[in-house]
Amino acid sequence: MITLGIDAGAATTKTVLLIDREIAGYRVSNTAFDFLTAAKDLFSELIAASHIDENQVENIYATGYGRNTIIFANKAISEITAHAKGVYFLFPEVRGIIDVGGQDSKIIIVENGNVTDFLMNDKCAAGTGKFLEYTAKALEVSINDLGVLALSSNHPAAITSMCTVFAESEVISLRARGIAKEDIAAGLVSSIAQRIVVMTKRMGLKESIAFVGGVAKNVGMKVELEKELGIDLFVPFEPQITGALGAALVAQGIWREGPGS
Amino acid sequence: MPTSLSSLDYFRDSYEVRLAQLNEKRRKGTKIVGTFCLFVPDEIIFAAGADRIVLCGGRTDTIHLAEQYLPRNICPLIKSSFGAIVDACCGGNLSCPHIQLVDVVVAEATCDGKKKMYEILPEYVPTYVLDLPQKPESSEAIDYFLAELRKFGGFMEKLTGNVLTDEVLKREIQSSNETRKLLRRLFDLRKLDPPPILGSEILSVMQKQFFLAPDQFRQGISRLCEELENVIPEPRSGRRIMISGCPMAAGNTKMSDIIEQKGGVTVVEESCTGTRSFWDLVDENRNPWDALAERYLEIPCACMTPNDRRVARIVDLAKQYNVDGVVYYTLQFCHAYNIERLRVQQALKKEKIPMLAIESDYGDSDIEQIGVRIDAFLEMIS
Repeated sequence: MITLGIDAGAATTKTVLLIDREIAGYRVSNTAFDFLTAAKDLFSELIAASHIDENQVENIYATGYGRNTIIFANKAISEITAHAKGVYFLFPEVRGIIDVGGQDSKIIIVENGNVTDFLMNDKCAAGTGKFLEYTAKALEVSINDLGVLALSSNHPAAITSMCTVFAESEVISLRARGIAKEDIAAGLVSSIAQRIVVMTKRMGLKESIAFVGGVAKNVGMKVELEKELGIDLFVPFEPQITGALGAALVAQGIWREGPGS
Repeated sequence: MPTSLSSLDYFRDSYEVRLAQLNEKRRKGTKIVGTFCLFVPDEIIFAAGADRIVLCGGRTDTIHLAEQYLPRNICPLIKSSFGAIVDACCGGNLSCPHIQLVDVVVAEATCDGKKKMYEILPEYVPTYVLDLPQKPESSEAIDYFLAELRKFGGFMEKLTGNVLTDEVLKREIQSSNETRKLLRRLFDLRKLDPPPILGSEILSVMQKQFFLAPDQFRQGISRLCEELENVIPEPRSGRRIMISGCPMAAGNTKMSDIIEQKGGVTVVEESCTGTRSFWDLVDENRNPWDALAERYLEIPCACMTPNDRRVARIVDLAKQYNVDGVVYYTLQFCHAYNIERLRVQQALKKEKIPMLAIESDYGDSDIEQIGVRIDAFLEMIS
């Protein structure tokens, strides 16, 4: 059975094509303004590269913030369920997931691929990819360089503001005081990591944790989280696709499903 | 959406009827009391020959007016209510004109936000504050509250010029108990699986409780119960959800709406706009003042400490209504209910009842974000 999973995220769109239980291909791109266009484009690319016909795709499931706008999908499921299934497929031993995306961050507790509890951040950008994006801009570095830069710091600056807008001004005032770029970068990474660690501990998660979402690509973040939590994190080869992978897996009809939307 | 229940039309039409009644009563000299909380006993107000409406605001459009006077980071119910009062008193037309029907506000010392707002209220409307003991289980609490209620009775006598006799008070207790029993009957119907009525339909009815006259409200509830008991309505299916937490004042149906749009069905609300208003009866066989003091101090509000009985009530309701999960709903910046979340979560976890905490205001900006959480929660408990 051929299925497609689409994760229409706030910042990036991800698609995974499954042939039975094998990943036949995946794509990641910026969502830009229109969720549907982004998803359609990736679908076409994936089909062309996989040498299959569009009609052979039997079931398409969407997830992510824009999941209900993907009109060519057969069903929409929440990204919490999707990540749980995707991560379980890659790492069956995992008990918890830290997902830090563009718009929100979440902690998911899983048992045999089923969600047993979850926690999402408040409705603000603190503790999300947006925080890193904005503050990296204030440092005049790319988001990836921010993580690399952070690793080279020996004296991380203290960033006290959790608010993205205030943190940006805090970065500017640290620059004005002549603090080294890498120390500010390390301070930013540590600030967001602490926020995520609080959420993780609140959920009682101690070990067997996967780290996924766009922010998991940030090497500085991974190192900082591992240090704070005192464990090694499971990070997939492509941490952004676990939601789309999970949607494609549910579309295979492996799990009993919820009400959907 | 299932076909609508015809008895719900009664409630839709009741507003204008009541508005005319209040204006007429006022013209004839009846005093109208505005309240903000279940802790102020209706029985005392009615027994003194006055009428009452509840002024809690659930609308977002008056909040910016309140923010000219109050801090931004206090709960939306306080800001919405205060904004409506400021607006009405300054000749605005943003809010329903209820405050202009009111001779006096009888406020209560519950949460910090309300208490301090009530200090500003006299600039706009005469205000009386009923004090509440904070530790209701202490031995002195009941005596103190009894004295406060009697003092409040004296205030009402002076306001209306009527004498508040035990006999009339007993009659009003019976009347309020009758309403409570009817609401129990209505809520019992929601124990059916699937329930015959949506939570959002119930909520809109419960919100009317605080504006309509008691007999007018009871008539509607009786009709609704009869319709639900006799006509077989289309069942409202979905995962069974309990909403527990802050009041959902008229204008605010956000949480119920989202849950039911996402395919769940709310079967009980542990809230001031739910069970808290009617669950316990006033003992009709005792001295009416003692009975009132005892019953009202039992209201399981998060402003009381310790509040084990609320935690126990939530677990009990979850079992009685056979819920699949609890949505713990708090208004933004409502410290009492927000902090109490942890103890409720621990108790529910022990009973293996899933819980999702949602904190929100009256705006629409987080509807999608809440939607994601509700989607995931419903998938989780499927």
